[in-house]
Amino acid sequence: MELKEMKCESCGHINPPGTQLCQSCGKMIDSDYDQNKIKDLMRYDGSAIRSKTKPKSIFDKIWIFFTSVRVGVSIILAITVAAAIGTIFPQEYYIPIGVDPGEHYQENYGTLGYLYYSLGFHNLYSSWWFLILNGLLALSIIAASIDRGIPLFKSLKNQRVKKHDSFFRRQRLFLNTERPANTDSLIDAFSKKRYKVRKDGNSYLLEKGRLSRYGPYINHIGLILLLFGSMLRFFPGMYVDELIYLNEGETEEIPTTQGQYYIKNERFVIDTYEKEDGEVFQQALSEGSDLVSNFQTDITFYENNSADIVGSSPDLEEIDEYSIRVNHPFSFGSYELYQSSYDNSQLKAMTFRVEDASGNTIGDNFTINLDDPDSQFAVSEDISVNMRAYSPDFLEVADNGTLVSATPVPTNPAFVFEVTNGQESELSLLQIMNSTDITENNEYNIRFVGAEEHIATVLTVKKDHTIPFIATGFIIFLIGLSVGSYINHRRIWIKADDDFMLAAHTNKNYFGMKREINEVLESNGLEAVNDKLDDEDKNKE
Amino acid sequence: MASQLVSISSTLLYAAFILYLVAMLPLATSIKSKSNKPAKIAITMVVIGFILQISYFILRWIAQGHAPVSNMYEFITMFAIMIIAGYLITYFYFKTRLLGLFALPVSMLLMAYGSMFSREVEPLIPALQSNWLAIHVITVTLAYGILSMSAVAGLIYLLKAVPSDEKSWRARFLEAIMAGIIIVITFIATTVLMQNVIGYQDDFLYQDKQGQNQIAEYHLPSLINFEGAVPVEHVGENNYEEADHFHSGVNLPPLIDSQKLNTVLWSFLLGLIVYGIIRLILRKRIIAVLKPWSNKADLNLMDEIGYRSVIIGFPIFALGGIFFASIWAQIAWSRFWGWDPKETWAFITFMFYTVFLHLRLNRGYEGEKSAWLAIIGFLLILFNLIAINLLVAGLHSYA
Ligand code: HEM
Repeated sequence: MELKEMKCESCGHINPPGTQLCQSCGKMIDSDYDQNKIKDLMRYDGSAIRSKTKPKSIFDKIWIFFTSVRVGVSIILAITVAAAIGTIFPQEYYIPIGVDPGEHYQENYGTLGYLYYSLGFHNLYSSWWFLILNGLLALSIIAASIDRGIPLFKSLKNQRVKKHDSFFRRQRLFLNTERPANTDSLIDAFSKKRYKVRKDGNSYLLEKGRLSRYGPYINHIGLILLLFGSMLRFFPGMYVDELIYLNEGETEEIPTTQGQYYIKNERFVIDTYEKEDGEVFQQALSEGSDLVSNFQTDITFYENNSADIVGSSPDLEEIDEYSIRVNHPFSFGSYELYQSSYDNSQLKAMTFRVEDASGNTIGDNFTINLDDPDSQFAVSEDISVNMRAYSPDFLEVADNGTLVSATPVPTNPAFVFEVTNGQESELSLLQIMNSTDITENNEYNIRFVGAEEHIATVLTVKKDHTIPFIATGFIIFLIGLSVGSYINHRRIWIKADDDFMLAAHTNKNYFGMKREINEVLESNGLEAVNDKLDDEDKNKE
Repeated sequence: MASQLVSISSTLLYAAFILYLVAMLPLATSIKSKSNKPAKIAITMVVIGFILQISYFILRWIAQGHAPVSNMYEFITMFAIMIIAGYLITYFYFKTRLLGLFALPVSMLLMAYGSMFSREVEPLIPALQSNWLAIHVITVTLAYGILSMSAVAGLIYLLKAVPSDEKSWRARFLEAIMAGIIIVITFIATTVLMQNVIGYQDDFLYQDKQGQNQIAEYHLPSLINFEGAVPVEHVGENNYEEADHFHSGVNLPPLIDSQKLNTVLWSFLLGLIVYGIIRLILRKRIIAVLKPWSNKADLNLMDEIGYRSVIIGFPIFALGGIFFASIWAQIAWSRFWGWDPKETWAFITFMFYTVFLHLRLNRGYEGEKSAWLAIIGFLLILFNLIAINLLVAGLHSYA
């Protein structure tokens, strides 16, 4: 069959190829549509839907593929199943930092875990195939919406009032009866129900809630914007996600701000719930471990006035003070700082004492500041301790006698101390839990007394320019969804010739529409409309 | 003072439960009766019950200073309340009593199940200290309550449409759903019996995934236990002594929570035995017993309710479960979407109902297929609300 324009035999209107119901009078002019694919001719008002005509060219075939609801649903299902697979084992970003992922999955989840890792499911949501599935979803939504939305829009815009008798009979709600005495009061009653009335001779078209029909298209546009927005993250400058690690009292440059902003950790606080916080919680609080009520970093925020001058030292001006807590991030410009976690595993200072051979403590204790250690400590009037070597994270003793450190972070410190009384001196190596004499027959021992930890806050630095796109997309989606779901498009056609005919159509909620129409009909002394669906059931029984 | 409010609120909830139980009688009568009276009585009782539940919610909120939506007990109770809300909304629109005959038991079952979890009042951890907690959870559970009506209507549809003695998968699946309900009831009954009435308790010392010592309190004899678990007895403070408890000898690695699995296993075993006994007494399928009730149903109306509750509930779910959730996640965790298990399953639920709506655009997906989909949707909601919280310890785990 050749694609050609179609002339309606009844009213002479010229319709675009593929039209099923004459766009002017509503008579069926083409019954050659794919009846398996289309449930309700009225969904698109019988207009020409490209994909519902029989395919001719290769372009048609591709088009039909992507517009097909079955294909769309398959893509949605594929994404859904993939998403579910991603929750079988934790994703990589939830496993401990620094461990080898292959080993981790094997060790914790066995062979299945290793298979999961090998298939790349440990990074499923950022895998190329998951992104492609989302791309196909976007294509499908675009194609399906253009395919149906444009003809639907045209056909709703160019509606005629007069319809062919067969159009009336085809509608689910239909009434054919004797003409009432007063048509005007009937129409009036409908317009009181906020129907817009159009009249042509003895024919009427009553309509309300047309916007509802555009709901799905509005929501699909929102989704496209959202999908587009989520791809923007891959463009440079759109997205920043960094951590700042700050000990109490430290000031540091905020990453990615080109040295323009600095932040100081004034204080880090962990609060726990106390009994006084409420008698109701008593039972919960009496059971074992402390319940944290608050994580908080008090910060000072600085701007660097010499940021533009290359090589100059920072000239900090205090801009703001803030207490960053969970749920209460600090924002500046397009950045946000969040309380992420804290770290108290790093040593800040260690305290020692000197002991003589019989175990008596000599003089005062001495404390070493591990970040910036002094090298000499006077313990008593005649005894002093010199620190000859220090390694923050002890690995081994080098051939030349110096101490080798694995990292610069004081997690496993070791020292070589020299104890002197002015004439003689002795050397010993001290590590956590261990001490070795270097010189022989040492008279003095150095003993560990205590340690103090740094408490560092970990803050997330975040900038996300994709949010406006994604949020706008989702808001449009929600608006479209509400319009499509909570508004109903209702139309009533009336032909008040000698033979009175009334037909009605709605996109949703025939139950409510029937009730509304029957109320009006009854008050005008007319019988109730017939519902084809009820009739079908009666015939079945 | 505040503690008293808590106990008053619990009593109100209990009263609501009893009221619903009693309301089943006039509700059942109303379906066959010609008069309008039983229906009026039943609906009045449901409305009063609902008011009692709302009072529970408000009082508990006042007492603990935050919305009671922060642990498993409070969640599941909230869901049960919203199912009643969903039913009342549907009732005032469609005037269907039959739906209530099935919706009420679902809500009551959930209330009973929820009370199996700790009902203690607990202060909030920092991440939950936000107004978004109440906004998010209330909208999501409201959406769940409305979406559930679709499953209830679907169930009634299937009970009527599927011949109860048919040798087919659809009939067997439907019967399996009934068996599942029996298992849940058996679980609740045995837990109450063993834990609260008999007070059975066997403690076991085991090492968790992090290698830390933990105590598992078994309220049912141990069929499955943790690898290397030692039977112990509590002797005051934090001290335990080795003891002798029953154990089948089956041990599993700490990756799996053997204690919960033990409970599940018992529930299935006992539930299936109870189901078997019921079948022996009835000499027919449970769906055959329920069928006469569903025969009054108007299939078209059930299908309409099935579709309309999704079309009304879905936008609310998108708003509360995705949009509000993302706003809060951005504020609390610095990212609006992080694919953590709970978020992912909310996404799956969203996509599933999207599939539901799009399939209905096609020929042949109304009626029975749609009813099955609605039931799957409800199972997804339950999975989301219960299983995810219990199984995975993500950011969202409260249990
Ligand atoms: C996550 C993805 C999607 C969401 C959330 C979504 C959402 C929706 C919603 C809520 C409706 C209204 C349903 C109703 O009123 O019963 C709708 C209608 C529709 N959707 Fe989608 N959709 C998605 C993807 C797709 C895809 C991939 C296709 C491609 C085939 C598609 C094609 C349609 C069509 C043809 C309609 C009916 C339009 C009309 O009634 O005029 N959708 N969509």
